[in-house]
Amino acid sequence: MSHDVVQAEVTRPPVGLPVLIEARGVGMRYPGVIALDGVDIKLRAGEIHALLGENGAGKSTLIGLLSGISTPDSGELFVDGVKQHFNSAKQAQALGISTIYQEQTLAPDLTVVQNVYFGRELRRGLLLDEGAMRRRVESLCGEFGLTAADLDSPVGALGALKQHVVQILKALAFDARVVILDEPTSGLEESERQLLFEHMGRLRDRGVALLWVTHRLDELFGLADVITVLRDSRLVASVNPAEHSPDSLVRLMVGRKRSEGEHLRVHDRSERIQSNSREEFIRLEHVSRYPLLRDISLSIRRGEILGLAGIAGAGRTELGRIILGADRPDSGSLFLDGKEVTIRSPRHATRLGISMVPEERKTQSILGTMSIANNISITDLGKVSRNNIVLDRRRENRLAKEAIRDLGIKSSSEQQKIVNLSGGNQQKAIVARCLFSGPSLMIFDEPTQGVDVAAKTDIYRLIYDFVDKGGAAVVISSELPELLHLSDRIAVMREGRLVDELAGVDRPGCLGSESEIAETIMAMAAREAGHSAAADTKEEMA
Amino acid sequence: MSTSSVIGISSTRWGKVLQNPSAGALLLVGVLVISMSIAFPTFPSAINAGNVANQMVFVLLLALGMTVVLITGGIDLSVGSIMGLSAGVGAYSINSGAPLILGLLAAVGAGAVLGLANGLMITRLGLPDFIATLAMLGIARGLLFLWTNGVPFIGYMLPEYYVISGLERPFGFITVPIIIAAVAVLAIIFVLRKTSFGRHAYGVGSNPHAALLSGVPVDRVKITAYVISGLMAGLTGMLMAGRTTTVAPTMGLGYEIAAIAAAIIGGAALTGGRGHALGAVLGALVLSITANAINIAGVSSTWQQVVTGSVLLLAVVFDRASALLRERSTRSAGRLAVT
Repeated sequence: MSHDVVQAEVTRPPVGLPVLIEARGVGMRYPGVIALDGVDIKLRAGEIHALLGENGAGKSTLIGLLSGISTPDSGELFVDGVKQHFNSAKQAQALGISTIYQEQTLAPDLTVVQNVYFGRELRRGLLLDEGAMRRRVESLCGEFGLTAADLDSPVGALGALKQHVVQILKALAFDARVVILDEPTSGLEESERQLLFEHMGRLRDRGVALLWVTHRLDELFGLADVITVLRDSRLVASVNPAEHSPDSLVRLMVGRKRSEGEHLRVHDRSERIQSNSREEFIRLEHVSRYPLLRDISLSIRRGEILGLAGIAGAGRTELGRIILGADRPDSGSLFLDGKEVTIRSPRHATRLGISMVPEERKTQSILGTMSIANNISITDLGKVSRNNIVLDRRRENRLAKEAIRDLGIKSSSEQQKIVNLSGGNQQKAIVARCLFSGPSLMIFDEPTQGVDVAAKTDIYRLIYDFVDKGGAAVVISSELPELLHLSDRIAVMREGRLVDELAGVDRPGCLGSESEIAETIMAMAAREAGHSAAADTKEEMA
Repeated sequence: MSTSSVIGISSTRWGKVLQNPSAGALLLVGVLVISMSIAFPTFPSAINAGNVANQMVFVLLLALGMTVVLITGGIDLSVGSIMGLSAGVGAYSINSGAPLILGLLAAVGAGAVLGLANGLMITRLGLPDFIATLAMLGIARGLLFLWTNGVPFIGYMLPEYYVISGLERPFGFITVPIIIAAVAVLAIIFVLRKTSFGRHAYGVGSNPHAALLSGVPVDRVKITAYVISGLMAGLTGMLMAGRTTTVAPTMGLGYEIAAIAAAIIGGAALTGGRGHALGAVLGALVLSITANAINIAGVSSTWQQVVTGSVLLLAVVFDRASALLRERSTRSAGRLAVT
């Protein structure tokens, strides 16, 4: 494992404001994974504390610990200097800690007032005290831009910003002193974002401590008072924003990866065919599906791995779904081997030689009630049936056994239920399923999510084998080291657009060191459009 | 601590039996047959067995179709109404001078068409299965009432119909409906176990998103399942019309409850992805034997519905318990795999 220890550089801002919550050396491990490793953080009253880190750096785990959803395996939590042991979110709420999650936790059909008091309604005797609830919400809502009419309308009818405000009110109605915001600006328009920042400022003025998780570096400056950066489940630094720039923050986030990187390099890229001699398999021209995908033009060649980089919500999965025929584009065209096609459905895509390993294994991949064999053969039952109708189980089992052996799926037999496999082996079975229909293009959406290191290496090898045999692969991943490691070419997406393409990632040294490329990509993916620093950096490198 | 005890239970032979969803139903049949045989000497006779078999045909056929629908993750509340309306179509066709065989085919075909309508409402209009088939329950029943004006169809009973419906038994208690039901059981077993459609049906019920992304024609699979269920309901209506010799506008009223109960007792899950044809046989058997037992014991037949409901409840409680056992053994297996 690794060896270069991350030095925590700590330049804390002037002390003085009271510390409301403090975590000392908190850690959290799941079977086979360390999600958080001895992290310290202090949240002070009247301070906006930003939390940065790549996907998987441990931000969500830390939020979970602070909001009482999970209990740390090691380390201690103090609220107002008193040691606390949270067993539930309720306990944290009782101490004034409120968390506003990225996914909406409001009931869309209830009104604003009903939502604010949902589950904690004020009563007078047996009856609801509607008047008191309404008065309290009215007294709070004015400065946050909600009108009296809004209070009686269902929350689902309000826009994204107002829904955030409802969550803020919900926190304030119960005297929250600490408010945790998980990527609050995602899904907001630029002007709304500014309003939300003003609201956050107001909360700070009331003496609330804010913990603000964000991916967008440009937002931080001028608003955050402290920035804490996590990387690989550890604390990298708690810094004063005045002493930093977006670029220096990116460097902190990406760091020198002590990832599995080096020994995962199982593949000698120099033996692979040169990019320009690879023939194109599929080409997209001006493909749009509003509002998630805008004007995407892209080509994917045989024998090549195209990486798709971008932050969550950039439209990468949506692009995959278009290619798979799960969604139809509003405009634009697709060409397969030079001929224009309309991909009508995933079934049609399968026939055209396109398959996908979806992102969420549990909800989108596995057929939980079925055996490994049945899970593998489902993409192409024609291959294991006579006259395309009557299944030939013997043939099915034989092919499944072969796949289990070839892909190294650890199982007792091909008849074992897929849910009884470990995550990594489930994922390999899903890869086997996609290979079963003999595809020319495979889309891997977060292929190593929740998978241990050994299975990760195996999956990388499967992807390489596939392209070495002339297949085209698209890899969507939020882990930059993974993308850098796998891809021949990386396309960067942001807010539904293709912002840039880095060719020659496969030729070491061409674009600079691995961490330099990672920084370039992060900068392109996280910056706002029009910010040209990213492009400049890239030109310097090219 | 609790983990090891759970592993202890689930790895014994009894644990395996308890985890089988149909174990409860089988147990119930055994207990009923033994206790009834001791209490009432007439119960274990060949004649009574024949009666039970002839009684269970209707629920069995409906339960077979229901099982297919449940496997895909749907539910068909309209089978009782489809049964009635199809019987009406058959009776009317014969009364209008159609040859018997065409009349019977018209009844079965009407069921299939109504099932197709269910499937299209669900896939094309995107209605929830429950709502679409509930609407069909009302519409088909209402049409039958409007059509008959409340007066039953009569006078369609040609001599051959008596044989086909099992009222006349030229081969002893093995009647034509029993043969038809046996063929239907074999056909559904074949379809579910041996065809691509069957496999796709399990896949769609198990995880519709995953099935879609894997290239399964999800809509077509669902439509086919409802057509099969409608066809079975039409077949049942055709046989029932012969058995009762009149088609009252209330024909088949409430049969959806028995059909769903039988399918679920037989191990089909409302959450989809589970169920099998032999389970439907077992479920129908449980319901028919309890009905028969009530009859022989001289209990008023009005108790029938209460008993059906209670048996269903028992079966589901048992299924929940066995699902819990399965889940725990899965989790502990998973934990072992990780460490």
